[in-house]
Amino acid sequence: MSLGNPRRRTAAGAAAAAAAITVGTLTASGCGSTGLTAPRLQTSLSRTFANLYVLQQTEQGNPEPSATSLDSHASCQKGGTPDITQDGSGVWLCQITYLVAGPGYPVIAKYNVDVQTDGCYAADGDGPASVNGSPTITGPHYKQLINPLSLIDGCFDTT
Amino acid sequence: MTLAADRWPAYPEPAPGPSGPGGPGGPATRTGPRSGTRTVWRLELAKLRGQGRVRAIAAACLVGPFVIVAGLNVQSATPGDTAFGQWVHTSGFAIPMVILGFGGQWLLPVGTAVVAGDIFSAEDHFGTWKTILTRSRSRRELFAGKFLAALTFATAAMMLLIITDLLAGLLAGTQPVAGLGGQLVPAGHATELVLVSWLSVIPPVLGFTALAIFASVASRNSVIGIGVPVVLTLAFQVATLIALPAWGQQVLLSTPFTAWHGFWEQPAYVGPFLYGLLTSAVWFTLCSAAAWLVFRRRTIGGAS
Repeated sequence: MSLGNPRRRTAAGAAAAAAAITVGTLTASGCGSTGLTAPRLQTSLSRTFANLYVLQQTEQGNPEPSATSLDSHASCQKGGTPDITQDGSGVWLCQITYLVAGPGYPVIAKYNVDVQTDGCYAADGDGPASVNGSPTITGPHYKQLINPLSLIDGCFDTT
Repeated sequence: MTLAADRWPAYPEPAPGPSGPGGPGGPATRTGPRSGTRTVWRLELAKLRGQGRVRAIAAACLVGPFVIVAGLNVQSATPGDTAFGQWVHTSGFAIPMVILGFGGQWLLPVGTAVVAGDIFSAEDHFGTWKTILTRSRSRRELFAGKFLAALTFATAAMMLLIITDLLAGLLAGTQPVAGLGGQLVPAGHATELVLVSWLSVIPPVLGFTALAIFASVASRNSVIGIGVPVVLTLAFQVATLIALPAWGQQVLLSTPFTAWHGFWEQPAYVGPFLYGLLTSAVWFTLCSAAAWLVFRRRTIGGAS
């Protein structure tokens, strides 16, 4: 067989170059950070919560609120103590403030949020019990439905 | 051309005559490396069709989703810890996504590796390289034909699985499903998202196919050819648990399997999918180039 074929060296060189370019590009794109930051999580969680709140209300046969009128805001902290780096996967504690009865009466819903490295999270409801405490809710005709706010699955872009 | 399965495989072409370059009849009149590759490819596909494991995977792709739907119907628990898990009894569209969530981590890489990790080393196992290479097919044609056969199998199995998955989901119910942004996704759009999500994992599956082929060529051993991709999926799983920086996650070949999550968000995002395409392409290119470099310089006969 033809050893030391120049075409083979070309192919190897091309492969090495492709690897170097990729690693370089990817390194430059997000050096150091995991991309799992509090603002991204807060934006995603508050929006998802608002949409699911609307779903919960309609499933219960209540008048449908609009997601924007809730004006929901999330505030998340990792680990519960301020000295932990606010970045990365793990358990975050989040509070979502939203309005159902006018600007003077904010409601706060709490969640334990398990954030995975790919930017997806599972937010487990931690009160108040009437909002996210029970895994099921009662729909029209006493039908038991899944409570959309009890466990919230969502994702955000880490790139 | 090979006797890897103890018998001559059924040749798909009707009476092609001597199928060497310049041989008469049918497609064989097109001579040159392309028709040679095509001949090897068709023959390898015929061999694959005869393999028990290929038939088992095809059967699993065909009935697996329906079995899962039936299983979900007879019990009320929901698969936890995965996106869409809690909605499997609410909407049929959640079921294909739960299968993708689980399958993307293990089943899909292993499924393609079982075939691709064996397609070269089987010839070592049966000692048939010498037989093949004395035929009128060059190494390049053999490599390309076998490689294409493995890719064809992976793509065909994925297509089959996508179709049966969607059908099983539609069978289970076409109610709107809550997307990952909390938005209610109506049936039509949900169908599109299921299809697009499943299609988005084909590039990393092909990356694993090339990886298995490289392991198979380099080791000349089917156990290693299949085992290396399986062990790597495990290693990737462990690596995703560590707090790697974002670029560290992106270079793992397991990450593109989760890129579909962005399609179900509101607003949808495709950044992870595009990075995943790049990652898959790089893995695919490096592995196939390395496999070819090893294969073309290999000594066959003699001391091998």
